Amino acid sequence: MLADTWHLFGKYMRITIRMPMWSLFTLIQPLIWLVIFGSLFKNMAQLPGFPTDSYIDYFIPGVLIMTVLFGSSWSGVSLLREITAGTVDRMLVSPVSRVSIVLSRILHSAVQVVLQVLIILIVAALFGASITLNPFYLLLGMLIVFFLAVAFAALSNGFAIALQREEPLVMIGNLMTLPLMFFSTAMVPAAFMPTWIQNISLVNPINYAVESVRAVLVGDIELGLYAKGLVVLIVFAGVTLAWAVNTFNALRD
Amino acid sequence: MIRVKGLTKVFASGTKALDGLDLEVESGEIMALLGPNGAGKTTAIRVLSTLSGFDAGEVISAGYNVDSDGEKVRQSIGVVAQQTGVDYLLTGRENMMLQGRMYRMTTNDIKARIDELASYFDLNEALDRLVSTYSGGMRRKLDIATALIHRPQLVFLDEPTLGLDIKSRKMLWAYIEKLNKELGLTILLTTHYLEEADNLSHRVSIICAGKIRVVGTPEELKSGVKGDSVILEFENSEPATQAAANALGEQDFIKEKVWEGNKLRLYVENGSASVARIAQAAADNGVVIKSLSLSQPSLDDVYLIHTGTSFESNEEEGADEWWKQWAGKGGGGGKWSKQWDQQEDDAGGDASLTDGSSGEAEANEGSNEGSKEKPSVAQSTDGAAEQPWPQQSEWKQGDDAGSGQWGQGEWGKGDWSKDGSGGDNRKDGK
Repeated sequence: MLADTWHLFGKYMRITIRMPMWSLFTLIQPLIWLVIFGSLFKNMAQLPGFPTDSYIDYFIPGVLIMTVLFGSSWSGVSLLREITAGTVDRMLVSPVSRVSIVLSRILHSAVQVVLQVLIILIVAALFGASITLNPFYLLLGMLIVFFLAVAFAALSNGFAIALQREEPLVMIGNLMTLPLMFFSTAMVPAAFMPTWIQNISLVNPINYAVESVRAVLVGDIELGLYAKGLVVLIVFAGVTLAWAVNTFNALRD
Repeated sequence: MIRVKGLTKVFASGTKALDGLDLEVESGEIMALLGPNGAGKTTAIRVLSTLSGFDAGEVISAGYNVDSDGEKVRQSIGVVAQQTGVDYLLTGRENMMLQGRMYRMTTNDIKARIDELASYFDLNEALDRLVSTYSGGMRRKLDIATALIHRPQLVFLDEPTLGLDIKSRKMLWAYIEKLNKELGLTILLTTHYLEEADNLSHRVSIICAGKIRVVGTPEELKSGVKGDSVILEFENSEPATQAAANALGEQDFIKEKVWEGNKLRLYVENGSASVARIAQAAADNGVVIKSLSLSQPSLDDVYLIHTGTSFESNEEEGADEWWKQWAGKGGGGGKWSKQWDQQEDDAGGDASLTDGSSGEAEANEGSNEGSKEKPSVAQSTDGAAEQPWPQQSEWKQGDDAGSGQWGQGEWGKGDWSKDGSGGDNRKDGK
């Protein structure tokens, strides 16, 4: 099963590398976020009680997590394309394990997202954002990115099979990602939020991802806060992955 | 190799895709599943290759039960689907390499096998190009080569030459035949090209509405058709002509008559001898014949007889239903529908039957992918006056939901079985 996963993963990576334009486009969006939100909320950093001096510094983890969400939520759409193209059938009539088919897709999506996030980090650092570039903390941050990407790619693949159509899938993808971003401290510190949003953010895995990434990459390192987020995300990724695999296993007309 | 008994599959939508299908394929033969769109060909292949589940029946594929030994079935079969599933952004070699991996072959084995298959299919030069640069015929060859990487003994080809030009099609036929002759592969292919089944297969199964209608070698099937056929096209398509033409078809030397659009096909014992008699009879009946041609039995005739009226009606029964009724009620559908409305009461049988059929022909035109056969069958057979169109009635009873309603409704079979010679009747009426 591991070998199957590895070979299929290799195939997806190879295809991605052959579409460099696509990867480039996915980078443009977060950079635009960074510029727009960075200017829009610039003055917020002057408010008393704001944790960082520059808003960009505060917002970087949010942009990284947005990249993860938008990057991995497309995974299901390409699964539907593969079903239409017959690629999935070709795998299903072979002895390849079904689990591998899902795993390789999700793994590919997560790895791709991690690479994108690294590139954005480098660009942001070049623009003068003060990010910790210590490899160890960077690695910790990427772990969070990885598990969050796994979770959302799993959700996307699971919904793709459950819904069988692209349009509602894209709708659900948007519905999941945007509000959840705002119900987190990606853009606004918790202290500035109304209580009800604070309460929602407590059960929002995206909030934990943002907090954890911020804990290791921006300002003072807070390993306790980080560890809490990591545990939440591992559980979240595990549950969504199990669901996606289950849904795919049941796929039979 | 394959043994299927009573295979039934109902989709979640309620459509009965397969309805008690029986099929046996011997080791080493090429079997063609021939049938119209929506007959259940692809569904049958999907069940046999473990892609689809089913509701009832027993399915042995490549010698293993698809239910209990799915893994062994998958290991022993090669599948070339309509949607091929090769990755366009990989090269031919990479596609085959990956396929070999999926069958857990060793790297050396895969490499040797790729060389072997590439020379076999003349793909050597294209092997390291991206598949997106391949022509349709080349891609098809790669599909088949890829599906053979693990040396399966049983291969499914679902519409292998669909959408290819004549040259590529003939080339592919040569390869398929070679695979069977030289490597002894058992091949089950589906097609709706008659000549493909005729040229390529050892035996043909004609499938319609999820059932196998007839099985045999192309020769057997052809010899089962009653003699030669004479095709008549008429000067005008007025009802009078139609009625007279029908009367023409009732003569005793004519074994069967089938309407194909506005052409009338008459099956006779001896074609050349009948031409003069038909021309004479036409003159007697006052029908002007525009053209007359004679043809030897072909698989075409077999196909038409066995898939006849139900051509595609099983595809979207529900959707067609309103249309049939509408057309039948003279809503402006069929070519002759107005006239049939008037005659519905007095003429009875044949009129309304033909009416329904012609309406249906129209209704089906949209989905009728380039096939020329029109479904208006009115068979008058073998002097069984009580049941002049046995196939029609069988179809109506056998079909579920949609057409059933139609069949038993205003033009139930009682209508036309009580007066077999509808044509004569109408002629008298004129």
